[in-house]
Amino acid sequence: MGSIWAVAINTIKQALRMKVAAVFLILLLVLLPVMGFSATGDGTLKGRLQTFVSYGLSLTSILLCLLTIIISIYSVTSDIEQRQIYTVITKPIRRFQFLLGKLLGVVLLDVILLSLFSAIIYTITIYTPQFFNATEIERIQANNEFFTARAALAIPAVDVSQEVKERYEQLERSRELPEDISYKEIIAELTAQQQLAKRAADIGQVLVWEFNNVEPLDQSMFIKFKYDVAVNPPDMQVYGRWFVGDYQYIKYGTQSKTPVYDRIHKHSVRDFHEIEIPAEVVPEHGHLAVAFQNVPLNNTVIIFPPDGIEVLYKSDTFTGNFVRAVLLILARLIFLACLGILASTFLSFPVAILLCLFLFSTASFSGFVIESFGYLSVNIGKIYSYTIKWIIQLLPQFDKFNPTKFLVPARLLSWSLLARCVAVMVCIKAFLLLVVALIIFSYREIAKITV
Amino acid sequence: MEYAVETFSLTKIFSDWWGRAKVYAVDDLNLQVRYNEVFGLLGPNGSGKTTTLKMLLGLLHPTKGRALILGGDGTDSKVNSRIGFLPEESYLYRYLNARETLDFYGRLFGLPPKVRKMRIEALLDMVGLKAVANRPIGTFSKGMARRIGLAQALINDPDLLILDEPTTGLDPIGTRQIKDLILKLAERGKTVLLCSHLLADVEDVCDRIAILYGGKIQNQGQVRDLLQQTNKRQITTDAISDTAIEKIKQLIQDEDADCVVTSPMEKLETFFIKTVAAAQQQLQTISGAVSTTKIGGFLAPEAATENILDKLVSTPVSQESLPESPTTEKVVPVESPTPEPDEELLSKLTGSAELSQPEPVFRDEKVTTQPAESEAPQAEQEQIDKSILEKLTGRSRPQGQDEEQTDKSQAGDTGDG
Repeated sequence: MGSIWAVAINTIKQALRMKVAAVFLILLLVLLPVMGFSATGDGTLKGRLQTFVSYGLSLTSILLCLLTIIISIYSVTSDIEQRQIYTVITKPIRRFQFLLGKLLGVVLLDVILLSLFSAIIYTITIYTPQFFNATEIERIQANNEFFTARAALAIPAVDVSQEVKERYEQLERSRELPEDISYKEIIAELTAQQQLAKRAADIGQVLVWEFNNVEPLDQSMFIKFKYDVAVNPPDMQVYGRWFVGDYQYIKYGTQSKTPVYDRIHKHSVRDFHEIEIPAEVVPEHGHLAVAFQNVPLNNTVIIFPPDGIEVLYKSDTFTGNFVRAVLLILARLIFLACLGILASTFLSFPVAILLCLFLFSTASFSGFVIESFGYLSVNIGKIYSYTIKWIIQLLPQFDKFNPTKFLVPARLLSWSLLARCVAVMVCIKAFLLLVVALIIFSYREIAKITV
Repeated sequence: MEYAVETFSLTKIFSDWWGRAKVYAVDDLNLQVRYNEVFGLLGPNGSGKTTTLKMLLGLLHPTKGRALILGGDGTDSKVNSRIGFLPEESYLYRYLNARETLDFYGRLFGLPPKVRKMRIEALLDMVGLKAVANRPIGTFSKGMARRIGLAQALINDPDLLILDEPTTGLDPIGTRQIKDLILKLAERGKTVLLCSHLLADVEDVCDRIAILYGGKIQNQGQVRDLLQQTNKRQITTDAISDTAIEKIKQLIQDEDADCVVTSPMEKLETFFIKTVAAAQQQLQTISGAVSTTKIGGFLAPEAATENILDKLVSTPVSQESLPESPTTEKVVPVESPTPEPDEELLSKLTGSAELSQPEPVFRDEKVTTQPAESEAPQAEQEQIDKSILEKLTGRSRPQGQDEEQTDKSQAGDTGDG
């Protein structure tokens, strides 16, 4: 353990004194405060905060990712190429201990730098409302929609298979089925149509979403929604009547023990809006309903797009969420450190850097890449799905677990989600990389061939 | 375990990417290094010396055969903890300073902090880099880096010291010092495996040598056996009169042998050290506090060496034996009244005690029976070195002597205990 620690400390010194880390450090130390002033977003306090946190964390994350790749590769390959490893590996240190020491050093450096920068981002974020003398309304909005961590009640999936089947049979009977499209695609198309129909409210019609086992809340909940309309209203605004409360009352009109929220709001179309609902509306039995009525005044059909409605409640603080987001970045850095160490055990510095940067960018866009395979024609798609897709799925999906995705809309990044992500990214994928690295390094010849 | 290092048909073949164009870097090498000997591995460039060492240490895998080092494998941690290794160049971390470097290597050996600190200071003292211990190694000259390289090889008090070209990049004074150090270590029961193409170095310190060419041992054996010209005799005298020489010549001719009379040449090494010493003393009278301490630091290896070694070696070889050894009596000290262990060691090394006449060498005449190879008697020259070293350190001698004495008494104490 002592020798692992010695190598780790030496690696940190190397990173700092060879000025590799110093460049990144200074860059971030300058950029972060500048961003704190320059990021304005949509002009509101919430927008400003969202922009800053999003840019600040993304920048920190990407720079630390690059730094991790560079340091982990540099510190191993330079030892081999400049042959300091001759004097190190001939001391009573096993080869795996040497690599673990390097890894520990890189991860420790990451922890230090990440703590430093996230502390800066956090401090700037927390003090932004005071610094910019935000109005009371802006502060309330920021507190409700940014300085919190909200979880969403799961919108129950609507089962439309019966309708789809009927519609299909109907089309088949009337011989209206298009012939150049496969059965699967027709069904997918019909399902999308039917689901859209379920989310559309005709004039005067009521849409109801029901939720089971809702825990009693101590803080207000929020409905976040977006209206799409068939016909644009003159002022681009529509009225909506919202009911939230005991399912029994809303559905059947029975007596409710808890109060029921019932108000009409006017909102612009095609924008996200939120309405705050007091916590008391949640009934004891946890069977909650949210209903929307398209007020006849509107004169148009109102449609909720697929991600157009969410029921949110505060479940944790901003601080907790921020810490977990930072941990998510750390998991990513640990994975990259293992990747860098692996590459450096059998490749020279430039090649290893290129490989790792390629893999890193692939992992960063993996969601997009995987999705794009879906649009390939069947034959080529098959080739891809047996080769590259398989490799991509071995990589972690950095874009799927992007911390800003949670912090900007103040969505809860739960411990369980974090644990799952860490388990896959670090405990399985990074660990495998490390094992391969240790095996390669234990059996390779350290010395260069010189005759 | 009979041998400290033993190889069994050790072979290393380098092939190209396709597995063709084979080069036999080391070919069926059977090497035996006994415990407590200084073994020299000689050979021209590319003869496989370094490749052999790398295979011993597990940095390269042998294509065929096997290498045992201290009875185990070169990659075994237990074996590694008893080895000190100085590679052909000092591959050190440029961004660490001298003290941090030694601390890093000390940690790799798992030395407890107290021991580590003590040894680092002692080693820095020994290699004469205490004054620059806080400077990054990247700013060191090659010789300074070499010194630190040597210090890191000694930090674990190794039983076996493997030195690859230990004197490259060192000035003659540093070379001298390393050679003295190697002898001292051997004195203390260490085994030294030395690999060099600088023949003078090897000749001065090694008990046995092997000459490698094309990855094969061409010749090996005791240095004395290999080099001594048993069919010749050499006599060194004071500057005697021509008539005396004529008499001697007559005597020799009576024996039916030829003889050549010359004044012995001084070795360049000796001359260099003398010149530097003179310059050093001049400087001292003018100013030069910096350079004084620096050179003084490594020109007084005696005290420092004793120091570190006594500290490093848990059960030191009895110090008392040194002054009492028979050779010492024959050596008449040039200036110092105290017997010099170094001098005595060197004369012992040359193995020809009868030749090491005590007379001051500057006035020597050399009489070589039969046409002489310009092989000057080593002992004399070492004696000059000694006298010069003495002169140099004379300035600080009282202190040095004190140190030496205290060291010896310490060593004696531990020996008794």
